Amino acid sequence: MDVELIEIQEFLANHPPFEQLPEAALEQIPRQLTVRYLRRGSAFPPADDQARHLYILRRGAVELRTEEGELAGKLAEGDLYSDACGGNSESRALTGQTVEDTLAYSLSCERFERLCTDHPELAEHFQDAPTKRLRKALDVLTEQTATSSGLMTVTAQDLIRRSPVIADPAISIREAAGIMSTERASALLLMEAGQLAGIITDRDLRNRCVAAGLSTDRPVKAIMTASISTISADTLGFEALLKMTRLNVHHLPVVEGEQVLGMLSTSDFTRFQSSSGVYIVSDVHKAKTVAELEAVSAKIPELQVQLINSGATGNHVGQAVSAITDAITLRLIALAEAELGPPPVPYAWLVGGSQARREQSSHSDQDNALLIADAMSKGDDDYFRQLAERVNDGLHACGYIYCPGEVMAKNPTWRQPLAVWQRYFENWIQRPEPKALMLASVFFDLRALHDPAGLYDGLHQQVLELSRDNRIFIAYMAANALKYRPPLGFFRNFVLIHGGDHDRSFDLKHRGTVPIIDLARAYALSAGLEPINTVERLEAAAATKALSQDGAANLIDAFELINTLRIRHQAEQLSKGEHADNFLAPERLSPLERGHLKDAFILINSMQETLGQRYQAGRFT
Amino acid sequence: MGSPLERRRRRRLRRIANGPLHRYLSRPFPKKTLDYRCVDYLALDLETTGLDPKRDQILSAGWVLIRGHRIDLGSARHRLIRCDGAIPADSAVIHQITDDEAAAGERLGRVMRELLDVLAGRVLIAHHAEIEIGFLDAACRELYGSGLLACTVDTEVLARRTFERRNIPFRPSELRLHALCARYNLPRYRAHNAFYDALAAAELFLAQVAHRDNGNGFCLGDLL
Repeated sequence: MDVELIEIQEFLANHPPFEQLPEAALEQIPRQLTVRYLRRGSAFPPADDQARHLYILRRGAVELRTEEGELAGKLAEGDLYSDACGGNSESRALTGQTVEDTLAYSLSCERFERLCTDHPELAEHFQDAPTKRLRKALDVLTEQTATSSGLMTVTAQDLIRRSPVIADPAISIREAAGIMSTERASALLLMEAGQLAGIITDRDLRNRCVAAGLSTDRPVKAIMTASISTISADTLGFEALLKMTRLNVHHLPVVEGEQVLGMLSTSDFTRFQSSSGVYIVSDVHKAKTVAELEAVSAKIPELQVQLINSGATGNHVGQAVSAITDAITLRLIALAEAELGPPPVPYAWLVGGSQARREQSSHSDQDNALLIADAMSKGDDDYFRQLAERVNDGLHACGYIYCPGEVMAKNPTWRQPLAVWQRYFENWIQRPEPKALMLASVFFDLRALHDPAGLYDGLHQQVLELSRDNRIFIAYMAANALKYRPPLGFFRNFVLIHGGDHDRSFDLKHRGTVPIIDLARAYALSAGLEPINTVERLEAAAATKALSQDGAANLIDAFELINTLRIRHQAEQLSKGEHADNFLAPERLSPLERGHLKDAFILINSMQETLGQRYQAGRFT
Repeated sequence: MGSPLERRRRRRLRRIANGPLHRYLSRPFPKKTLDYRCVDYLALDLETTGLDPKRDQILSAGWVLIRGHRIDLGSARHRLIRCDGAIPADSAVIHQITDDEAAAGERLGRVMRELLDVLAGRVLIAHHAEIEIGFLDAACRELYGSGLLACTVDTEVLARRTFERRNIPFRPSELRLHALCARYNLPRYRAHNAFYDALAAAELFLAQVAHRDNGNGFCLGDLL
């Protein structure tokens, strides 16, 4: 066997898709190649190649353009040009010219097709639609994480360690305590006629019975928590943990239909490090001062790292971090109310942006507002100003820095009675202006975090109804969704931007997740959909005419891929004690990850173009 | 009729016996007036025990063909040649061919036959071609009793002419194969064996002609 072409074989082996080929197959390729030298400024693919070829760049660079002459991509060392070989019929062949002196390997399409027949893995790379490749990439990503975690794959049912300890709610408190102590259970489920009636825990015995001086002869019903949440047996461990974190409970019954299978307690999670999410929230609830909350909040970056290490995706982390931010905000509101006394009129504390969407990563800046009942009198604002200042300052102290755009409850513009908010929204929707909408887009991702009087629900419904029927407003939101474009791809260690600029780093947020978040908002508002979370918005939009099922599934995949890379990049920075940011250097990406990202970019770009065409969004930019 | 080289080829052909060199000489050399893009080439490099074709021996030969200004990697060959006596230590350091490997190589006659068969009708490309020509000529004399005739392009000569034509001052080291490859942004191969040097010379040749060609081509004679 001749070994002389080993260096060319090694070169191929370092670049997708050849890296997937077995050594024996790879060995056969170099002999089938020809080498061409193309001067800078030569047509690409070379005009004098009679037969169609696939090209692999060994040195140099090529610019590819669409038929309209728009820059569509750039190739450099190791990049491959297969447009001439058909296969992917979805896209038209791009052509262009060399922008540096270029040495290229060429393989005739005929030989390449034979290679694809012999090696289906190669054919997949070229013939699969980018969206199908994206799905596979995500499967690989989550598969990798699943093996290391458990919590992402294990279900609530798997976590239960024993059959449930059950008693009748009519028995006395003493009897109930007796059962708990014999069974060594920290919680007891109470069932009546086969139905779950309530739950008591060690803490209830202490707080509601002994400390309250209640007779232990009373029926246990008197101290049970009657309205209890349950989780179904097939809930993923992570979601169960999240639910407990959000509800701030330590026990949750696991049910399958009507049947109670057992009890999940926070201690069942102790073998998973990430259980600290629950402890952080319970620490938040115990905190009595802002200083204590600051100390708890300082643990969030560590939690984010732990979650990532145990295999969480971007969505998981966003949910967990947002749940903690919610808890801290609620605690700050409670502390402020404790100090200032009860509010003169009902109000709702609204959160916007990533917290509202439950997509926060550690310590984003704060976006919030106050919605006050119309019954407020002029003098009442003093109370709400103080409340807002306390909560805004507390959040700032906890690392959620003041919103640079001043979208905070302490800003009087965003601390208004319901009637004013209604006017705000009517204006934004019926008389949209690009400048006002830039700021306003925060307010179309809005969630009532603390709203005992239910003030926000009606407003939210009105907003959805108004926006759904207003084509001009939707066109503005569509234009807004085209403001941030994904890159065209990568070129050497640069990110290639529309128009041909090069960035040193990939802005995972503005060129990755934000375009999808903006698309999801436009779809949701055009169909009058309630969800705020991006994935939930896309799922909901898929059931309407705003977005196809495929389009939704593909965008969700792209979002999860980019968001997970982003969250991992941040976890890496946090674990090194660095400040977490959204800027990823392309050299940190494997050639395969670059390929997957490029697929995601193509998808986002085409969804943006479709939306833009539908609403002729170009008129509003 | 024909160039002096052609006339010598025909004269030589009549004088020598049948065999590899006879077969080689029975194919005419490409005409100097042909467009260089229509000519077939063979880029060659030899590793030798020293610089003197009379005393030193060929250790290995590597070559690759160029057709229609494309290098055909399918034609790549690398041959080790069985060598009498020990390889001088200083040259072994350079080409990393050990005595054992050299002993396992093929007979010179066999490699020469293979090489002459593909070189026939083609233009020889080598970097600092004097060495290749000298050793092939000596091998032909030893094996077939007559020297080699070849139509040769020397990439080093092309580079020197380019520097001189453009009035660019240069040091001798800048004429080395690897320095020139770097100048043209060509790959740098880790292995320094006869094959990779032949491939590097072939790539250098493509770069040199591409930079010289204004799109209308030129004739082979301009390269000789």
